Parts: sequence; structure tokens; C-alpha cells
Amino acid sequence: MSVLFMLLQVVVLAVLAPLVAGVIKNTKGKMQSRRGPGYFQVYYDLRKFFKKDNVFSPTVSWIFKAAPYIYFATALGAAALVPTLLFDRGLHYDNIFVLIYMLGLGRFFLALASLDAGSSFGGMGGSREMFINILVEPVLMLTLFTVALRANGTGMSQMASASASSGISLSAILAAIAFLILTVAETGRIPVDNPDTHLELTMVHEGMVLEYCGRSVGLIFWGSALKQLVTILLMVNFFLPWNPAGSLPPVVWMILKVLVIAVVLAGIETSTNKMRLFRLPGLLIATGCLSLLAIIAM
Amino acid sequence: MKEYKTIPAAELRETAYQLYADGKNGLMSMFANDERQLNGNYAIYCLFSVGKSMQVIKAVLKEKGKLEFPSITPKISGAAWYEREIYDMFGLKPVGHPDLRPFALHENWPQGIFPLRKDFNNKTPVPTAKKEFPMAGVEGEGVFQVPVGPIHAGIIEPGHFIFSQAGEDIIRLDAKLFFLHRGIEKAIEGAPIERAFYQVERISGICTVAHSLSYCQAIENIAGVTVPPRAQYLRALVSEMERLYNHVGDIGNLCAGMGFAVGIMAGARLKEDIMRVNEALTGHRFLRGMVVPGGVRLDINDQLSAEIRSMLDKLIPDFNEMIELFRGNDAYLNRVETTGIVPRQAALDLGVVGIGARASGVDVDIRRDFPYGCYSSLKFDVPIYTSGDVAARLWVRVDEVAQTVNLIREILEKMPKAKGPLKAAIPVIKPYSSGFGWCESPQGNNIHWLMVGENNTVYRLYARAAAYPNWPALTVAAPGNIIPDFPLINKSYELSYACVDR
Repeated sequence: MSVLFMLLQVVVLAVLAPLVAGVIKNTKGKMQSRRGPGYFQVYYDLRKFFKKDNVFSPTVSWIFKAAPYIYFATALGAAALVPTLLFDRGLHYDNIFVLIYMLGLGRFFLALASLDAGSSFGGMGGSREMFINILVEPVLMLTLFTVALRANGTGMSQMASASASSGISLSAILAAIAFLILTVAETGRIPVDNPDTHLELTMVHEGMVLEYCGRSVGLIFWGSALKQLVTILLMVNFFLPWNPAGSLPPVVWMILKVLVIAVVLAGIETSTNKMRLFRLPGLLIATGCLSLLAIIAM
Repeated sequence: MKEYKTIPAAELRETAYQLYADGKNGLMSMFANDERQLNGNYAIYCLFSVGKSMQVIKAVLKEKGKLEFPSITPKISGAAWYEREIYDMFGLKPVGHPDLRPFALHENWPQGIFPLRKDFNNKTPVPTAKKEFPMAGVEGEGVFQVPVGPIHAGIIEPGHFIFSQAGEDIIRLDAKLFFLHRGIEKAIEGAPIERAFYQVERISGICTVAHSLSYCQAIENIAGVTVPPRAQYLRALVSEMERLYNHVGDIGNLCAGMGFAVGIMAGARLKEDIMRVNEALTGHRFLRGMVVPGGVRLDINDQLSAEIRSMLDKLIPDFNEMIELFRGNDAYLNRVETTGIVPRQAALDLGVVGIGARASGVDVDIRRDFPYGCYSSLKFDVPIYTSGDVAARLWVRVDEVAQTVNLIREILEKMPKAKGPLKAAIPVIKPYSSGFGWCESPQGNNIHWLMVGENNTVYRLYARAAAYPNWPALTVAAPGNIIPDFPLINKSYELSYACVDR
């Protein structure tokens, strides 16, 4: 039974992920005194991509062709594991490490593929993505430990219920801020990366996937949107778990919180500009300090 | 100015070095002309600014002699591009030039065909050649060559860049431009000067007024025509409108180099407001068709000048609000400050003009230094910054917007009443007389040299836009920065491809 629920959750999240991406894009447009693309624009884009053929450079190996599928599959896997309140699954193997490194596997293959085509932009994007990842990963683990310590375990359902029952504290607030910055970094947004740029020389994630087109790029975009939703859900579950007492069911609260975070992300992207690449370590060290403080304050 | 100091080509180096006086004076422009039909010579003209005057050297090469001249690049770095172009277009070899790779004519252009010589017919097809076009780069362990372009992701013109990089750091940058060279200078040879005007005006969109103004002033200088006073003010008005929309748009565009969307949008919106007034003023958003040889085509009435004034009144608070977004914003300032520094000496050596020069502490503005039209009776300051970085180029633009807004108001106030026609007739010009026309375009000074042929036709036009001496500054600005900062550095110069692809 639980496997069926898991599959259902994957389908629901995969279907909704482009909508969340669309909400962010639209809100960003509104905040920047534009009209912004419609909420469903990402779906139309995906439909367009899936109607198109792949074009591969004759120099690429199987890694380049397989990477989009692996990337998408790891995003699906992460979506299967992330705790949602949609279904009570009674799972015991939803370990946070599995989820984080599932996403890491997808990124690893994309970085390999970025080198495969031999274009200079791909290599630059890949190396920058890995540079940022090296900084993000330890801080991410540290931040998640603040929740894991409270839960005495690394099972995600366990962590989610532990942080829900622990109430608002200084530690929780610090950890929430740290995770918000990490969400910005993980989803490739300003000030870390700029998802809207056409300037190849400045690209990170976009540079890495620049050689892809058609169905492959559709899978990558969809996978990215799904990964983004999973990251937002982690934020909701672990760092914003409290629901005001009221008649609304928890699921509705969760959806509202996802939307609020989407708007906050759009706001962060609008409010500032991209950082100089080599200033990023400073930002992430500060984030690491926040999570350390969160652990100390516990 | 109509006096040229004529010397044999062999003496060019000494004479030019003397005038240059180790950098005390500047080389403003250098070009060649095929005058074999007139006197059996090729001529190379060098325009220097010497203190408060302009001086021209005319170096003459005998047709029958060796087609080479001593290069002046070894001491005057700013001549490097001019001499390479002369070599490409006329086959006159600058001996001792340190870098004589192909320039405007790429690897597909056959050897030994020189398009600006009079015996080259631009109607005959040219066979495709397979030469080499070597690009400069650095080799070594851990150094990579990153080719970028010629086709870019944005809707911009083609240019091929090669970065030699170690990690993210740029060690060297080389650029291959002129992919869309249109041969306009050749195409208008033989055309009546008043018709050729339309092609000259269309060299580049963002410098429409600058190119047409320089060209018209060259004609008027040669013909000795005085432009009616009101027309002079109207010309200054459209010049300043061009500067205004360019600067406001460029300041907004700079934000695209760092993904600051609010700034991009604010700049685009303000630029649009100005361009709508441009359209009301001239019927064209890029101010085309206003300046014509002898004067201007259109007058303005009180309603239009009120419209311009109210646009300015509305623009200033909005513009200042946009600038406040940058001034107090550490994240923004961190990106622009110390990025892409061009030291003052490098700017002087390369003969950088306009925004690029004024941001590196070089105090030049051709409107003030060599006034034309009504500029001698207008009051304005020339903002100078000394840090030479992206921020300095930004603040020069910001300060110039304020100056330009004041200038437009002053022009509207001082504009003399309409008396008679706004356009002086161009008389029949004595064949083969020549002269310069210049103006300050939004990016820097724009210099045209015209030689008129029989029956008021164009014998030779040389159009040097501000972008031409500024492009090489990029190769100084970029090294030492990281690759992701390059688009920002590039945008801070806002170099036009079309202006050099003339």
C-alpha cells in the first residue's frame, strides 16, 4: 500500500512542480514592474520541449544522453521520499541522507555531461556548480542536523514531527534563515545564480545545460522544478512546521506555505543583484555560522 | 583645419612623433585615401589634437614607389587599429607595426584585393579565400582558451572573443570584429553628397544624430556654409536627446550584467518615455531624418517644447529614484567598484574617447574642446572620474544625464525665433576639396572626413565613430578580472559593433 502512496505522491508533486515555478516567475515579473509570464507558462514550455527532437553533438558519449534521464529520475526519487501531509505512508526508510545524495547524484551526472560536449560554457558552468556545491553541501548538512538532533534520528517523518512539536525557538528561527539562504543557492537563484540570464559567461546551472535541447532540456527543466519543490517542502516540513490552530486542514496550510516561500524567493531575487562569484564562500560561511549558532542555541 | 602638413610618407614617423610629443597631444584619427587619379599618390592623413587646435599630417606615397610607410604604432599605441585598417583596405604596409594580422577583412577575403582603392569595383563578386585568421592567446599549464561568439545569446551583433583563462581569471582577451562590415564608405563613393547622407545616417542606430551631424558639418565646413542659428539649436537639441536616451538606457542595461532586474526594467521604462518624445519630435524613435546637410528638416512648436519639458520634469525624479537604488546598495556597488579598471595612462595611450576616457581621468569632450554649432554659447560641465572602473563609467553617465537635462532646458530657452528657412542651400563645391566634421556622440567623439568629388559627389568619406578607439580598451579592462564579470565590463563601455562595421 505504501508503495502506491509513494507513487501517487511522486505524480502529484511532479504535476504541481511547474506550477510553483510558474508562480515564482509570475510574482517576479509583477515585482519588477512587468506583467510576468502566466502561472501555467512552464507547462506550455515543457509541452513545447517534449514535442521537439534531441540534437546531440557527434562527440558526446552515453553520459550526455543519459544525464537528463538520471537527473529527472533522481528528482522523482527525492519527490517520493520527501514527507508531505498528503498521505500517511508509515514509512521507515525516508532517510534525509538518501534524499540529499539522490539530488547530489543527479547534479553529479549533469556536471559530467556538461564536460562531455566539450563546449567552454558547459565546462565553466559545471565547474562553478561544483564549486558552489562544495560550499553548500556541508552547510546544508549542518542545518539539517539542527532538526535531526531534535528528532534523535535522520528519518524525515520523524524529523518533521519533532520540529512540529518543538515550538518556535531562537534555534529554530536561526536554522530557518540558514535554510532559506540554502534554498536560494540550491534552486540557482540570485544572488547565487541567475536563472533568467542570457549571458553565457555568467551562467552556472544554465551554462551546464546549455548544450541540451528538445526533450532532454524539457526533462532537465522539469527535474529542476521538481527539485525546487522538494527543497521548498523540506523548508516547510522542517523549518516552518507550525500551523496556526484553526479549522483548516494541515494540507491547505502546507500549500499556503509553499506559495508563501515561492513569493519570498521571488522577492529575494528582485531585491538584489548577483554576487561576485568569489564572494559566495562568504555568504555560505555566514550561513554555516547561523546553523552552528542554531545548534548551540538548542 | 583645411591646411594639411604634406610630407613624404618616409617622414611620417618623425613628424607624427614630434606632434605626439610623448603623449602630450593625442592622435584623434588616422586614415588613408586613394588619390592616384588626382596626383598619382596615396595619402595617409593623421589628425592630432595639439593643445587647443587640431593639426593634420598628410603623408604621401608615390603610386609607383614601395607601398609602405613607417608605422607610428610603436610609440602611439592608439594608431594600431588605424594602421591595420589602412593595410587591409589600401594595401599600404605600416612597416614596424607590431601586429599586422588581418583586421577588418577576415580569412575569407582574398589576398591582394584592396576594397577602398579606386580601381576596386564593389559590384564585382569577390572569390572566397581560405586564409588564416590567427587569434592571440596565452598557452601554458592550466590555461584554457574560451571562445565566445561570434553569435551571442542576446539580440546583439556578432563579435568573436577569445579569453585565455586560468581558472576564472582572464589573462588575455582578443577580439575579432567586423563580421558585418557593410562597405558603406565604399558604397557612397560617387553618390551625390545629399543622397549619400541617408546611408551615413544609417551607419548605426544609437549614433544616428552623431553620424549625420559629423557628416553634415564636414560638408558645411568644406562649402563654407553657415547653418541658420535656430537650426543649430535644433541640432543641439536632438544631439542631447540622443545622449539622454542612450545614457538612461545604458545605465539600466548595466544592471543586466549582474542580474539586477529592477534596474533593467526602470532603465527600459525611462528610455521608452524619452524615445516617445523623440518620435513626437522627429517622427522617428532614433531621431532619424532631423539633421540634414545645411540645417535641419523640422522645426518645433511651443506645444512640442512643452512636451519635452514635461518629459524632463517627470524623468528627473524617476531617474534619481533609480540611481538611489544603486548608490546605497552594497551588493550593487560591490559588483561595479574595482571591476574592469582602465588606468589613465592606458586610456591616453589608446586614445580612448568619451565616457571611457572621462571615467579614467582623461578630461576630453569635443563639445567643449572644439566647439561646433551653438555649443560655445551653452553652459555645461564635463564630469570626470578617476577610478577607471565600471562604477566610474556609471557615475560619468549619471552626471552627464543631469548635465544633458540642463542643456536641453537651456537650448529650449535660448533657441532663437524662426527666421527664414531652417536649411541653408549647399552650393556647388570645388571638386576635391576636403574637410572634417565632428561631434560628441553619446559614447565619445565622432569624426568624419570628407573629400568631395565632381558635381558635389562623395569622393571619399572616412567615418570614425567613438566605438572605434574604445574597443581596444576592453582588452585592457578585462584581464585581471574573472570571466563572469566580463559582460558587466563590456556593458559599461556599451560599444557599438555597427559603428565600426561601417
